[in-house]
Amino acid sequence: MDKDNANPTILTASQLPTRQQKKRKTSSDGLKGGFLANISPKVSFLSGPFCDTPWSDDADSDDDFTDEPIDEQEIYDLISNISDPEHPISLGQLAVVNLPDIQITPTPSAMMEANTLTRVLVKITPTITHCSLATVIGLGVRVRLEQALPPNYRVDIMIKEGTHSQDDQVNKQLADKERVAAALENDTLKGVLDKMLETCL
Amino acid sequence: MSANPEPTAAPALTVTALPPFKPDLYERAWTSIPHPTLPLIATAHQKSVTVFSLSTLSAHSSLTGGHSRSVRSVAWKPNLGPGKLCLVTGSFDSTAGLWRWEGGDKADNLEVEITAGGNGAADSDDGDGDDKDDWEFTLVLEGHDSEVKSAAFSPAGQYLATCSRDKSVWIWEDVGATEADDEWETVAVLNEHDGDVKAVAWCPEHNRAGRGRYSADVLASASYDNTVRVWREDGDGEWVCVAVLEGHDGTVWGLQWEPRPAAARFPRLMTWSADRTVRLWTLQEEDDGDGDDGAGTAPRHAWGGLGGIPNTMRRSLKEEWKCTAVLPQAHTRDIYSAAWSADSGLLASTGSDGVIAVYKEEPQQASAAAGNGTGMTDAEAAVALDGDVPMTNGHSTAGGGKTPEAPPTAWRVMATVAGAHGPYEVNHITWCKRYDAACPSERRGVEEMLVTTGDDGVVRPWQVS
Repeated sequence: MDKDNANPTILTASQLPTRQQKKRKTSSDGLKGGFLANISPKVSFLSGPFCDTPWSDDADSDDDFTDEPIDEQEIYDLISNISDPEHPISLGQLAVVNLPDIQITPTPSAMMEANTLTRVLVKITPTITHCSLATVIGLGVRVRLEQALPPNYRVDIMIKEGTHSQDDQVNKQLADKERVAAALENDTLKGVLDKMLETCL
Repeated sequence: MSANPEPTAAPALTVTALPPFKPDLYERAWTSIPHPTLPLIATAHQKSVTVFSLSTLSAHSSLTGGHSRSVRSVAWKPNLGPGKLCLVTGSFDSTAGLWRWEGGDKADNLEVEITAGGNGAADSDDGDGDDKDDWEFTLVLEGHDSEVKSAAFSPAGQYLATCSRDKSVWIWEDVGATEADDEWETVAVLNEHDGDVKAVAWCPEHNRAGRGRYSADVLASASYDNTVRVWREDGDGEWVCVAVLEGHDGTVWGLQWEPRPAAARFPRLMTWSADRTVRLWTLQEEDDGDGDDGAGTAPRHAWGGLGGIPNTMRRSLKEEWKCTAVLPQAHTRDIYSAAWSADSGLLASTGSDGVIAVYKEEPQQASAAAGNGTGMTDAEAAVALDGDVPMTNGHSTAGGGKTPEAPPTAWRVMATVAGAHGPYEVNHITWCKRYDAACPSERRGVEEMLVTTGDDGVVRPWQVS
């Protein structure tokens, strides 16, 4: 199968933003020679519906949440290990997600009350302007954050301005709760997402 | 809270949480629809529907096993005989399902609950050892290519409208020989929207009317394409789009017709959107102009009295709808739901920000006196809309044959509740009557409350006083 971008620029692990001595799982052994072993099937975007697990609290809430506020680096760490649906490479290494393109509003502060609505805006940079998998990548980022963050977080995923030819359409799809819910009930799409998120664990 | 020192300010309302329905559903619930006459409310969640009793505030029955994906919407069929229930479910599995409940022993309880209020009903429910659900999945309506988002029965129950991410609205007609004979025929597939159709709503019977060759049934649809469309059936059984309402700057999540319009006015239409606004739209009515029989200038609003003019002579017609109010901003994210009370005329809205806002319509002078920050007048709304809205504050041109302009009004926020479902998004809000034991018996079936439905799986009533 042809890829939309057969030779993406790839950052090495040492080039990625990190906090102190963070242990980072890298998938560098999958990078040699541009040979890509696992090819995900093309998916029809958000073509089906469902949502069975995401909102329960116990699964993903770390103790960190109560101790110190979640900052941009922590958001980055949650999503940078998501695998690209085409390449067995992480979104961080492909520079699809970048630390400076993550915004938290209001600015994280330890003084915040527990249920203060907090908006996390992540702008993703597709590897090429017509990348047809932009929606799937965005969906993976949204699902990952919604599963990992407490329920008072509102996750907004957008395509970084000027990097994609249909960014308005993609943004609107990713912002549509009903479409996202329906997409997660589509077995094919769910399979692709699960595979992307496998590397986050 | 201290009283507002402004003497002309209307007293604000207080919205107080009541105990939620039991049991919690634990996972996202989409919508809760009260029965038009009985003390029941149906909540769509996961692949099923739970029907709660408004008397006991606990589960009455559940509908399971009919759909392979989430049930997104539910609607009660109106005008059934005593002891009978029928509802339709719209599912992400691309189908709509028709369900019937004949009820057996429990059928009597429905009537008991109505006449005796909470007390008797609670007892009889407890004494009923039969936990078997009596809902039967009687018919699946297939045709949509993708998720069915909403379904609605026409006021008489003759028509059912469904809409889908496939951008279409389907109209089905009940052609069964008897009520129990579930036979529905597709009478129209409306394909004019450019995006998912999020919701459909039929105009209630109050003050609606046929127009020219159109029948009295009027349907409106809200879409991901940011527009709302109004549909009517012409004399040949064709359903046509008579108006496109443009103004929202985001997905239109839903719509509701004015439940109790004033005087002889055609019901207004309320729409709410991802653009964080609630808008009201008004049909620009024109009286039948005498002597304008020529094609092209034929009457644009015929209240059924145009016998002398052949259908073919009438302009085929578009209706003119104008946005006549934008409610004061009360939300910071998508508005997922709003509800307009038939009894009090109050509006309530909710959405992604977890806020409940309640609004009241007031004569414009009173609102102006109430000071800043309380609302947007029609005139201000007009400005906000870049002036493409007619001024309704007395400056409108009074055409000879026109229906008199409605008196100018403004909407004011009477109450807001933040974090209505804790940190969770709220997907739906509705008004319904109280029948619970905590409500004084003489107020049961009369007093209104709000019911919200959230991502936390909680269905919560709210007292408004």
